[in-house]
Amino acid sequence: MSLKSFMDDAYKGRTRAKRLETRRGEMVFSLEDLAERVGTKPSRSDVEALVPGDRTLIMQLLAPTQEPKKSHQMLWGYLSSIAADASPVPLKLAARDYAGLELRHGTLILEGTGHHLGERMSGGKIFVQGPAGDYLGQEMSGGGIVAQSCRDYALRNMRGGFAVLRGGARNYLGVGNYGGRIVLRGSCGERAGWLMRGGWLRIAGDAGDYLGLLMSGGKIVVRGQAGKRAGWRRKGGTIRARGYGQEAADGVLGLD
Amino acid sequence: MPDPRKKIAALIRSLEDLRLHVGRKDLSVGEENVNAQLYFPLANACLRGRAVLLYGGMGANKTTLVNLLGSSFLALDLDEVENLMVTGHPEQTEEKIIGFLDPRQWSREGSETSVLWTPWARSRWKLINEINRFPSGKQNLFLEILQKRKISYAGQIIEPGDTCYFATMNPEFSATYPMDEALLDRISVCVPAQQPDFLAGLALAEREKSVRELARSLPRFTPQEFDALPGLVASVRLSSRVELAILCLLRDFTLCERAPGYDKTQLSGARPSLGLCPGCHYYNNPESLCWQVDEGLSDRVRQDLRDFCRALAFLLNRDADVDVLRAVAPYVIWHRLTPVRSALERPPYYGARKLAFVSELVEKSINRTLNERSEMNLLFSQAVDGEIDTGKAVQELSAFDDPIARMDFIPALERMR
Repeated sequence: MSLKSFMDDAYKGRTRAKRLETRRGEMVFSLEDLAERVGTKPSRSDVEALVPGDRTLIMQLLAPTQEPKKSHQMLWGYLSSIAADASPVPLKLAARDYAGLELRHGTLILEGTGHHLGERMSGGKIFVQGPAGDYLGQEMSGGGIVAQSCRDYALRNMRGGFAVLRGGARNYLGVGNYGGRIVLRGSCGERAGWLMRGGWLRIAGDAGDYLGLLMSGGKIVVRGQAGKRAGWRRKGGTIRARGYGQEAADGVLGLD
Repeated sequence: MPDPRKKIAALIRSLEDLRLHVGRKDLSVGEENVNAQLYFPLANACLRGRAVLLYGGMGANKTTLVNLLGSSFLALDLDEVENLMVTGHPEQTEEKIIGFLDPRQWSREGSETSVLWTPWARSRWKLINEINRFPSGKQNLFLEILQKRKISYAGQIIEPGDTCYFATMNPEFSATYPMDEALLDRISVCVPAQQPDFLAGLALAEREKSVRELARSLPRFTPQEFDALPGLVASVRLSSRVELAILCLLRDFTLCERAPGYDKTQLSGARPSLGLCPGCHYYNNPESLCWQVDEGLSDRVRQDLRDFCRALAFLLNRDADVDVLRAVAPYVIWHRLTPVRSALERPPYYGARKLAFVSELVEKSINRTLNERSEMNLLFSQAVDGEIDTGKAVQELSAFDDPIARMDFIPALERMR
């Protein structure tokens, strides 16, 4: 049998041409439409492969009249980063959950409050005009975040980059970090620098209880007063504070 | 001779009715759903010289199921079949596995070297139990046996004839050894053996007699019926669509723009997971398969896919069509590949659901071949058959952004010019 007959037999006259890259730049009508094609938890590359080349269309997807559904929040987050990467000027958006997810370049100005802002970002800058929610800059490895304040678990598992918080932070700031720099101009709650393995945390106000709990590397400086049990079960790294509460661990240092 | 397929159907019913194997129907072939853990060993029993690996935790009915099937197909008692298997542990020696020199020969003058072969070596139903509890040296012994289909010891060779090979394996824990990649490549199919679910547990609780007693009630095959099975399977015809989908599937996994000769199996050291792909045209494109797995696929995979498609179609009494290929291919391929972590670790795979991940890749490749590659494939075939000018075909094919067009078709046509 000739190769042509083999192919004819396989396709039985059904010929349809489609090219590998034709998915890029296809018309995407809504976040729901995008989610149908890539699923609700895709990687950034999945979204990038489908995202429209036309900036106006991305902006239409980013600014729906209603808040994105919970299952579409990550898609919205990826879109915000892709739009910021491509934008020659800082991009102003509402601070919805996951805004700036895996941001690589560009600048985002976020207005309002949202959770998971700047999560897994590796470059670029995010300015949050207002208080940020939980998980701000979680797992970031580069770039920078400036925010008014944040809630729990901010800047967790940070590997690089920097963050400046002009107000205070709630509990669990910089948990498990092994890189990056954090400057907090206000005070923070309990367990800041918990399990910290590297990086730098500077707190201008006071720190709550269990500062640097179980930390094994990195540097924490508190210009104000640390709570009780600072440096509890610390294995490495340094903690310096103006004063300490009860049961501070041996080896924590004072500030001149 | 009655139709052996009817006896196989009776065997499947008996296994369920006697509560000897009650598994969830996790393998979808078109509209039909069957249990993968049962149907792949059955398919292997209808073939010869292929190996099926059952992979799962302790007590998932891997060894017992294979022995029960052996008891039925070889018409032996379960005890006798159990004597045929070898079980892995670090103290197993070649002598215990395949045979040893007959000490009586030293007292006989002028006698030739004789080896006392073990029942396992002589058997045509070879089960290697807990294969990853054999150290790597012993694993190489099985590699040689699967490669040569014969066993040698002290210069003597035994050829047991066409054999069905089975193996079982636990997930990695303290007493296991890593599996040799070359040995894994010779395993035709790897099937996860899952613990019974809620309903299966209830059904198993109804079993009142011991497995040994119940095994005596299973249908038995005559040697003629058992020997006739490979011929019946070979008579199942594979359609051109399936043959084409298999060819493209292999090329989708094997082609790599950066590998010598575009052949990913040539890579050593540099791999997609070790940073080979950034900057490549196909990198991060979810439609391309090449960057998502480290290994290419060998030609053995093609043969295994063809054989198991035929065998499963024979068992289900249906055509060996693309639906059968969609069902079979993930189980033939997944144990031979290492997905890149960034792709496997994202939801819904979470780094743990490798079979599901490979199934998705297989689905993408087959769909692409059937729905999107027709024009380029027809163009290539016309050029090969001399119906159109090869130069013109190369020019037209270069507009197709497809790894097969770029790395297979165009170089082949350029060689023909």
